[in-house]
Amino acid sequence: MIRLVGYEVVDWVLVIIGEVLVAIGVFCDLMGALGMLRFPNFFVRLHAATVGTIGGAVVPILGAALIAAGCDFLGYYRWFMSGAAVVTAVLILIIAPAGSHVLARATHRSKTVPVEPKVVDMLEEESRGGE
Amino acid sequence: MKYERALIAVAIVVFILVLSYAVTLGAMGSTLPPRDLRLLAKLYLWLAINPWTRNLTVMSPEAVTSIVWDFRGLDTFFETAVLYLAIIGTVAIYRGVYASSKSREVPISEDEVGMSPIAKSVTKITLPIVIAVAVAIALHGHLTPGGGFQGGSTAAVILLLVLVVFSLQYSIRMGITKGSTLALRSAGLLGIAVTSILVLILGLLVGCQSFIFQNQPKAYAPVGVPAFLDGMLVSGTLILFNIFECLAVAAGLTLTFILVLTHEEEIRSVMKGDRHE
Repeated sequence: MIRLVGYEVVDWVLVIIGEVLVAIGVFCDLMGALGMLRFPNFFVRLHAATVGTIGGAVVPILGAALIAAGCDFLGYYRWFMSGAAVVTAVLILIIAPAGSHVLARATHRSKTVPVEPKVVDMLEEESRGGE
Repeated sequence: MKYERALIAVAIVVFILVLSYAVTLGAMGSTLPPRDLRLLAKLYLWLAINPWTRNLTVMSPEAVTSIVWDFRGLDTFFETAVLYLAIIGTVAIYRGVYASSKSREVPISEDEVGMSPIAKSVTKITLPIVIAVAVAIALHGHLTPGGGFQGGSTAAVILLLVLVVFSLQYSIRMGITKGSTLALRSAGLLGIAVTSILVLILGLLVGCQSFIFQNQPKAYAPVGVPAFLDGMLVSGTLILFNIFECLAVAAGLTLTFILVLTHEEEIRSVMKGDRHE
Protein backbone atom coordinates (compact mmCIF):
# COMPACT_ATOMS: atom_id res chain seq x y z
CA MET A 1 0.00 0.00 0.00
CA ILE A 2 1.21 3.46 -0.85
CA ARG A 3 0.51 6.15 1.67
CA LEU A 4 -0.53 9.22 -0.31
CA VAL A 5 0.92 11.92 1.90
CA GLY A 6 1.60 15.41 0.43
CA TYR A 7 5.05 15.17 -1.14
CA GLU A 8 4.53 11.57 -2.27
CA VAL A 9 1.62 12.70 -4.44
CA VAL A 10 3.86 15.36 -5.99
CA ASP A 11 6.57 12.73 -6.64
CA TRP A 12 4.08 10.41 -8.31
CA VAL A 13 2.72 13.21 -10.49
CA LEU A 14 6.27 14.18 -11.52
CA VAL A 15 7.16 10.59 -12.44
CA ILE A 16 3.94 10.05 -14.41
CA ILE A 17 4.30 13.32 -16.36
CA GLY A 18 7.94 12.40 -17.04
CA GLU A 19 6.98 8.96 -18.34
CA VAL A 20 4.32 10.48 -20.59
CA LEU A 21 6.99 12.83 -22.01
CA VAL A 22 9.35 9.87 -22.61
CA ALA A 23 6.53 8.05 -24.41
CA ILE A 24 5.94 11.11 -26.62
CA GLY A 25 9.68 11.08 -27.32
CA VAL A 26 9.58 7.43 -28.38
CA PHE A 27 6.71 8.18 -30.77
CA CYS A 28 8.54 11.20 -32.24
CA ASP A 29 11.75 9.18 -32.67
CA LEU A 30 9.85 6.44 -34.46
CA MET A 31 8.14 8.96 -36.76
CA GLY A 32 11.46 10.72 -37.40
CA ALA A 33 13.18 7.45 -38.29
CA LEU A 34 10.32 6.45 -40.61
CA GLY A 35 10.46 9.88 -42.27
CA MET A 36 14.23 9.69 -42.73
CA LEU A 37 13.77 6.38 -44.56
CA ARG A 38 10.62 7.11 -46.52
CA PHE A 39 10.63 10.83 -47.40
CA PRO A 40 11.66 11.63 -50.99
CA ASN A 41 14.22 14.48 -50.78
CA PHE A 42 16.55 16.49 -48.59
CA PHE A 43 14.22 19.19 -47.25
CA VAL A 44 11.44 16.89 -46.11
CA ARG A 45 13.98 14.45 -44.68
CA LEU A 46 15.48 17.38 -42.75
CA HIS A 47 12.00 18.01 -41.38
CA ALA A 48 11.86 14.40 -40.20
CA ALA A 49 15.30 14.76 -38.60
CA THR A 50 14.18 17.83 -36.62
CA VAL A 51 11.14 15.90 -35.40
CA GLY A 52 13.68 13.40 -34.08
CA THR A 53 15.88 16.01 -32.38
CA ILE A 54 13.23 18.19 -30.72
CA GLY A 55 10.37 15.76 -30.16
CA GLY A 56 12.63 12.76 -29.79
CA ALA A 57 15.47 14.24 -27.71
CA VAL A 58 14.45 17.44 -25.90
CA VAL A 59 11.05 16.17 -24.74
CA PRO A 60 12.24 12.79 -23.33
CA ILE A 61 15.25 14.44 -21.65
CA LEU A 62 12.86 16.85 -19.91
CA GLY A 63 10.82 13.77 -19.00
CA ALA A 64 13.92 12.11 -17.56
CA ALA A 65 14.54 15.28 -15.52
CA LEU A 66 11.01 15.07 -14.08
CA ILE A 67 11.39 11.33 -13.36
CA ALA A 68 14.71 11.95 -11.58
CA ALA A 69 13.16 14.79 -9.58
CA GLY A 70 10.31 12.51 -8.52
CA CYS A 71 12.49 9.56 -7.47
CA ASP A 72 12.87 10.02 -3.73
CA PHE A 73 15.12 6.94 -3.32
CA LEU A 74 17.88 8.66 -5.32
CA GLY A 75 18.29 11.05 -2.40
CA TYR A 76 20.17 14.30 -2.71
CA TYR A 77 21.75 13.38 -6.05
CA ARG A 78 18.45 13.44 -7.94
CA TRP A 79 18.69 17.24 -8.16
CA PHE A 80 22.08 16.93 -9.88
CA MET A 81 20.63 14.48 -12.42
CA SER A 82 17.52 16.57 -12.92
CA GLY A 83 19.44 19.83 -13.32
CA ALA A 84 21.95 18.33 -15.75
CA ALA A 85 19.07 16.91 -17.82
CA VAL A 86 17.29 20.28 -17.97
CA VAL A 87 20.51 22.05 -19.02
CA THR A 88 21.13 19.42 -21.73
CA ALA A 89 17.55 19.75 -22.99
CA VAL A 90 17.76 23.56 -23.18
CA LEU A 91 21.12 23.35 -24.99
CA ILE A 92 19.74 20.93 -27.58
CA LEU A 93 16.66 23.15 -27.92
CA ILE A 94 18.94 26.08 -28.80
CA ILE A 95 21.58 24.31 -30.90
CA ALA A 96 19.66 21.73 -32.97
CA PRO A 97 17.35 24.21 -34.78
CA ALA A 98 20.35 26.39 -35.61
CA GLY A 99 22.10 23.39 -37.15
CA SER A 100 19.13 22.38 -39.30
CA HIS A 101 18.59 26.04 -40.24
CA VAL A 102 22.18 26.34 -41.45
CA LEU A 103 21.89 23.08 -43.42
CA ALA A 104 18.61 24.10 -45.07
CA ARG A 105 19.84 27.62 -45.85
CA ALA A 106 23.10 26.39 -47.40
CA THR A 107 21.26 23.80 -49.47
CA HIS A 108 18.68 26.34 -50.67
CA ARG A 109 21.31 28.92 -51.57
CA SER A 110 23.57 26.51 -53.41
CA LYS A 111 20.50 25.17 -55.31
CA THR A 112 21.79 21.62 -54.84
CA VAL A 113 18.34 20.17 -54.22
CA PRO A 114 15.11 21.27 -55.95
CA VAL A 115 12.45 22.40 -53.47
CA GLU A 116 10.10 19.67 -54.54
CA PRO A 117 6.74 19.54 -52.72
CA LYS A 118 6.40 23.32 -52.79
CA VAL A 119 3.41 25.59 -52.28
CA VAL A 120 5.25 28.89 -52.05
CA ASP A 121 8.99 29.72 -51.82
CA MET A 122 9.28 33.31 -50.57
CA LEU A 123 13.06 33.02 -50.21
CA GLU A 124 13.54 32.13 -53.86
CA GLU A 125 11.13 34.86 -55.02
CA GLU A 126 12.96 37.39 -52.90
CA SER A 127 16.40 36.43 -54.21
CA ARG A 128 15.11 36.45 -57.80
CA GLY A 129 13.47 39.85 -57.32
CA GLY A 130 16.64 41.24 -55.80
CA GLU A 131 18.79 40.43 -58.80
CA MET B 1 31.98 -0.79 -60.72
CA LYS B 2 29.34 -2.71 -58.80
CA TYR B 3 31.56 -5.79 -58.63
CA GLU B 4 34.43 -3.67 -57.39
CA ARG B 5 32.36 -2.37 -54.45
CA ALA B 6 31.20 -5.87 -53.58
CA LEU B 7 34.79 -7.08 -53.76
CA ILE B 8 35.95 -4.32 -51.40
CA ALA B 9 33.18 -5.13 -48.91
CA VAL B 10 33.96 -8.85 -49.02
CA ALA B 11 37.68 -8.14 -48.60
CA ILE B 12 37.07 -5.98 -45.51
CA VAL B 13 34.79 -8.59 -43.95
CA VAL B 14 37.26 -11.42 -44.64
CA PHE B 15 40.14 -9.34 -43.24
CA ILE B 16 38.29 -8.57 -40.00
CA LEU B 17 37.15 -12.18 -39.60
CA VAL B 18 40.65 -13.57 -40.17
CA LEU B 19 42.18 -10.99 -37.84
CA SER B 20 39.69 -11.67 -35.04
CA TYR B 21 40.07 -15.43 -35.51
CA ALA B 22 43.86 -15.08 -35.32
CA VAL B 23 43.59 -12.95 -32.18
CA THR B 24 41.25 -15.48 -30.59
CA LEU B 25 43.70 -18.27 -31.35
CA GLY B 26 46.48 -16.25 -29.73
CA ALA B 27 48.45 -15.09 -32.76
CA MET B 28 49.11 -11.71 -31.12
CA GLY B 29 50.47 -13.35 -27.97
CA SER B 30 48.62 -14.66 -25.00
CA THR B 31 45.28 -13.01 -24.27
CA LEU B 32 46.17 -12.65 -20.61
CA PRO B 33 49.10 -10.41 -19.72
CA PRO B 34 51.88 -12.03 -17.72
CA ARG B 35 51.59 -12.09 -13.94
CA ASP B 36 54.25 -9.44 -13.31
CA LEU B 37 52.35 -6.99 -15.55
CA ARG B 38 49.15 -7.66 -13.62
CA LEU B 39 51.06 -6.75 -10.47
CA LEU B 40 51.98 -3.43 -12.12
CA ALA B 41 48.29 -2.61 -12.67
CA LYS B 42 47.63 -3.37 -9.01
CA LEU B 43 50.44 -1.03 -7.97
CA TYR B 44 49.09 1.79 -10.15
CA LEU B 45 45.68 1.54 -8.50
CA TRP B 46 47.26 1.21 -5.07
CA LEU B 47 49.51 4.25 -5.46
CA ALA B 48 47.33 6.70 -7.41
CA ILE B 49 46.06 8.28 -4.20
CA ASN B 50 47.54 6.89 -1.01
CA PRO B 51 48.29 9.38 1.78
CA TRP B 52 49.95 6.63 3.86
CA THR B 53 52.78 6.03 1.39
CA ARG B 54 53.66 9.63 0.62
CA ASN B 55 56.98 8.59 -0.94
CA LEU B 56 55.34 6.79 -3.86
CA THR B 57 51.86 8.24 -4.36
CA VAL B 58 50.71 10.82 -6.95
CA MET B 59 47.86 12.13 -4.73
CA SER B 60 45.32 12.06 -7.56
CA PRO B 61 42.15 9.94 -7.43
CA GLU B 62 42.17 9.73 -11.24
CA ALA B 63 44.36 6.71 -12.01
CA VAL B 64 44.56 7.51 -15.73
CA THR B 65 45.78 11.08 -15.22
CA SER B 66 48.27 9.96 -12.58
CA ILE B 67 49.67 7.37 -15.00
CA VAL B 68 49.66 9.75 -17.97
CA TRP B 69 51.28 12.78 -16.32
CA ASP B 70 53.27 11.22 -13.49
CA PHE B 71 54.14 7.52 -13.69
CA ARG B 72 54.93 7.79 -17.43
CA GLY B 73 55.14 11.56 -17.74
CA LEU B 74 58.15 11.51 -20.08
CA ASP B 75 56.26 9.27 -22.50
CA THR B 76 53.33 11.71 -22.55
CA PHE B 77 55.72 14.58 -23.11
CA PHE B 78 56.96 12.99 -26.32
CA GLU B 79 53.41 12.11 -27.39
CA THR B 80 52.53 15.80 -27.00
CA ALA B 81 55.68 16.66 -28.94
CA VAL B 82 54.49 14.48 -31.86
CA LEU B 83 51.20 16.40 -32.07
CA TYR B 84 52.99 19.74 -31.93
CA LEU B 85 55.49 18.62 -34.55
CA ALA B 86 52.50 18.01 -36.83
CA ILE B 87 51.18 21.51 -36.08
CA ILE B 88 54.65 23.00 -36.58
CA GLY B 89 54.79 21.19 -39.92
CA THR B 90 51.50 22.80 -40.95
CA VAL B 91 52.77 26.22 -39.93
CA ALA B 92 55.98 25.63 -41.87
CA ILE B 93 54.10 24.63 -45.03
CA TYR B 94 51.91 27.75 -44.77
CA ARG B 95 54.82 30.08 -43.94
CA GLY B 96 54.30 33.62 -45.21
CA VAL B 97 50.53 33.15 -45.30
CA TYR B 98 49.03 35.58 -42.85
CA ALA B 99 45.38 34.66 -43.49
CA SER B 100 43.91 37.66 -45.37
CA SER B 101 46.08 40.29 -43.78
CA LYS B 102 44.90 42.93 -46.26
CA SER B 103 41.35 42.66 -44.92
CA ARG B 104 42.64 43.78 -41.54
CA GLU B 105 42.75 47.42 -42.64
CA VAL B 106 39.32 47.48 -44.31
CA PRO B 107 36.69 47.67 -41.56
CA ILE B 108 33.93 45.09 -42.03
CA SER B 109 30.75 44.90 -40.01
CA GLU B 110 29.48 41.68 -38.52
CA ASP B 111 26.44 41.52 -40.81
CA GLU B 112 28.35 41.60 -44.09
CA VAL B 113 30.25 38.34 -43.71
CA GLY B 114 29.60 34.90 -42.31
CA MET B 115 26.43 32.91 -41.94
CA SER B 116 22.89 33.98 -41.09
CA PRO B 117 22.03 35.96 -37.91
CA ILE B 118 20.37 32.86 -36.40
CA ALA B 119 23.59 30.85 -36.62
CA LYS B 120 25.57 33.79 -35.20
CA SER B 121 23.24 34.31 -32.24
CA VAL B 122 23.33 30.61 -31.34
CA THR B 123 27.13 30.57 -31.59
CA LYS B 124 27.29 33.62 -29.31
CA ILE B 125 25.09 31.87 -26.74
CA THR B 126 26.98 28.59 -26.82
CA LEU B 127 30.50 30.11 -26.88
CA PRO B 128 30.71 30.94 -23.13
CA ILE B 129 28.95 27.69 -22.16
CA VAL B 130 31.34 25.47 -24.13
CA ILE B 131 34.38 27.44 -22.95
CA ALA B 132 33.20 26.97 -19.35
CA VAL B 133 32.78 23.22 -19.89
CA ALA B 134 36.24 23.02 -21.50
CA VAL B 135 37.88 24.85 -18.58
CA ALA B 136 36.02 22.62 -16.11
CA ILE B 137 37.20 19.46 -17.90
CA ALA B 138 40.79 20.71 -17.82
CA LEU B 139 40.75 21.89 -14.19
CA HIS B 140 39.07 18.67 -12.98
CA GLY B 141 41.54 16.54 -14.94
CA HIS B 142 43.15 15.19 -11.77
CA LEU B 143 39.76 14.35 -10.18
CA THR B 144 37.47 13.06 -12.95
CA PRO B 145 37.92 11.53 -16.41
CA GLY B 146 39.14 14.14 -18.88
CA GLY B 147 42.11 16.45 -18.66
CA GLY B 148 44.05 19.04 -20.56
CA PHE B 149 43.86 17.43 -23.99
CA GLN B 150 40.12 16.77 -23.76
CA GLY B 151 39.38 20.26 -22.43
CA GLY B 152 41.51 21.85 -25.14
CA SER B 153 39.78 19.84 -27.87
CA THR B 154 36.38 20.93 -26.52
CA ALA B 155 37.43 24.59 -26.63
CA ALA B 156 38.87 24.11 -30.13
CA VAL B 157 35.50 22.80 -31.39
CA ILE B 158 33.66 26.00 -30.44
CA LEU B 159 36.52 28.14 -31.78
CA LEU B 160 36.26 26.25 -35.11
CA LEU B 161 32.53 27.02 -35.06
CA VAL B 162 33.28 30.72 -34.49
CA LEU B 163 35.75 30.70 -37.40
CA VAL B 164 33.20 29.12 -39.75
CA VAL B 165 30.05 30.96 -38.62
CA PHE B 166 31.52 34.46 -38.27
CA SER B 167 33.87 33.93 -41.26
CA LEU B 168 37.65 33.93 -41.10
CA GLN B 169 37.96 37.65 -41.97
CA TYR B 170 35.79 38.78 -39.06
CA SER B 171 37.50 36.37 -36.63
CA ILE B 172 40.87 37.79 -37.64
CA ARG B 173 39.60 41.30 -36.99
CA MET B 174 38.37 40.16 -33.58
CA GLY B 175 41.86 38.91 -32.69
CA ILE B 176 41.78 35.17 -33.48
CA THR B 177 44.82 35.43 -35.74
CA LYS B 178 47.70 33.17 -36.67
CA GLY B 179 50.03 35.24 -34.50
CA SER B 180 47.87 35.23 -31.36
CA THR B 181 47.09 31.51 -31.50
CA LEU B 182 50.74 30.75 -32.20
CA ALA B 183 51.75 32.83 -29.16
CA LEU B 184 49.16 31.12 -26.90
CA ARG B 185 50.24 27.68 -28.10
CA SER B 186 53.89 28.51 -27.47
CA ALA B 187 52.99 29.79 -23.98
CA GLY B 188 51.23 26.50 -23.26
CA LEU B 189 54.16 24.42 -24.50
CA LEU B 190 56.59 26.56 -22.49
CA GLY B 191 54.41 25.99 -19.42
CA ILE B 192 54.52 22.21 -19.95
CA ALA B 193 58.30 22.30 -20.35
CA VAL B 194 58.80 24.43 -17.23
CA THR B 195 56.41 22.27 -15.18
CA SER B 196 58.31 19.14 -16.18
CA ILE B 197 61.53 20.51 -14.67
CA LEU B 198 59.88 22.53 -11.87
CA VAL B 199 60.83 20.12 -9.08
CA LEU B 200 64.30 19.69 -10.57
CA ILE B 201 64.83 23.47 -10.30
CA LEU B 202 63.43 23.43 -6.74
CA GLY B 203 65.80 20.61 -5.85
CA LEU B 204 68.77 22.47 -7.30
CA LEU B 205 67.81 25.60 -5.32
CA VAL B 206 67.37 23.70 -2.06
CA GLY B 207 70.40 21.56 -2.75
CA CYS B 208 68.99 18.05 -2.67
CA GLN B 209 68.44 15.31 -5.23
CA SER B 210 65.41 15.60 -7.55
CA PHE B 211 64.18 14.29 -10.90
CA ILE B 212 62.52 15.56 -14.06
CA PHE B 213 58.75 14.92 -14.08
CA GLN B 214 58.85 14.58 -10.28
CA ASN B 215 55.59 15.48 -8.58
CA GLN B 216 55.41 14.47 -4.92
CA PRO B 217 58.45 14.12 -2.61
CA LYS B 218 60.25 10.81 -3.09
CA ALA B 219 62.44 8.83 -0.71
CA TYR B 220 65.81 10.32 -1.70
CA ALA B 221 64.38 13.51 -3.24
CA PRO B 222 62.42 15.24 -0.47
CA VAL B 223 61.10 18.16 -2.57
CA GLY B 224 57.82 18.37 -4.45
CA VAL B 225 54.84 20.46 -5.47
CA PRO B 226 52.16 20.68 -2.74
CA ALA B 227 49.26 18.28 -3.28
CA PHE B 228 46.79 20.53 -1.45
CA LEU B 229 46.19 24.22 -2.10
CA ASP B 230 44.14 25.88 0.63
CA GLY B 231 42.55 22.53 1.49
CA MET B 232 41.75 21.72 -2.15
CA LEU B 233 43.29 18.66 -3.77
CA VAL B 234 45.34 19.92 -6.74
CA SER B 235 47.71 16.92 -7.06
CA GLY B 236 50.88 18.99 -7.45
CA THR B 237 52.09 19.21 -11.02
CA LEU B 238 49.05 17.46 -12.53
CA ILE B 239 46.82 20.55 -12.44
CA LEU B 240 49.61 22.67 -13.96
CA PHE B 241 50.14 20.13 -16.77
CA ASN B 242 46.39 20.04 -17.45
CA ILE B 243 46.05 23.86 -17.58
CA PHE B 244 49.00 24.31 -19.95
CA GLU B 245 48.02 21.32 -22.11
CA CYS B 246 44.48 22.73 -22.44
CA LEU B 247 45.86 26.10 -23.54
CA ALA B 248 48.31 24.56 -26.00
CA VAL B 249 45.82 22.13 -27.55
CA ALA B 250 43.04 24.72 -27.94
CA ALA B 251 45.39 27.30 -29.49
CA GLY B 252 47.24 24.73 -31.62
CA LEU B 253 44.11 23.19 -33.13
CA THR B 254 42.60 26.65 -33.76
CA LEU B 255 45.83 27.65 -35.50
CA THR B 256 45.52 24.63 -37.81
CA PHE B 257 41.87 25.50 -38.53
CA ILE B 258 42.80 29.10 -39.40
CA LEU B 259 45.47 27.90 -41.82
CA VAL B 260 43.19 25.30 -43.41
CA LEU B 261 40.37 27.86 -43.84
CA THR B 262 42.65 30.35 -45.63
CA HIS B 263 41.71 31.12 -49.24
CA GLU B 264 43.55 29.05 -51.80
CA GLU B 265 44.33 32.09 -54.00
CA GLU B 266 46.13 33.76 -51.16
CA ILE B 267 48.26 30.68 -50.45
CA ARG B 268 49.05 30.37 -54.17
CA SER B 269 50.09 34.02 -54.41
CA VAL B 270 52.43 33.56 -51.44
CA MET B 271 53.90 30.37 -52.92
CA LYS B 272 54.43 32.01 -56.33
CA GLY B 273 56.24 34.84 -54.60
CA ASP B 274 53.85 37.61 -55.65
CA ARG B 275 53.60 38.96 -52.15
CA HIS B 276 56.25 39.41 -49.50
CA GLU B 277 55.64 40.43 -45.92
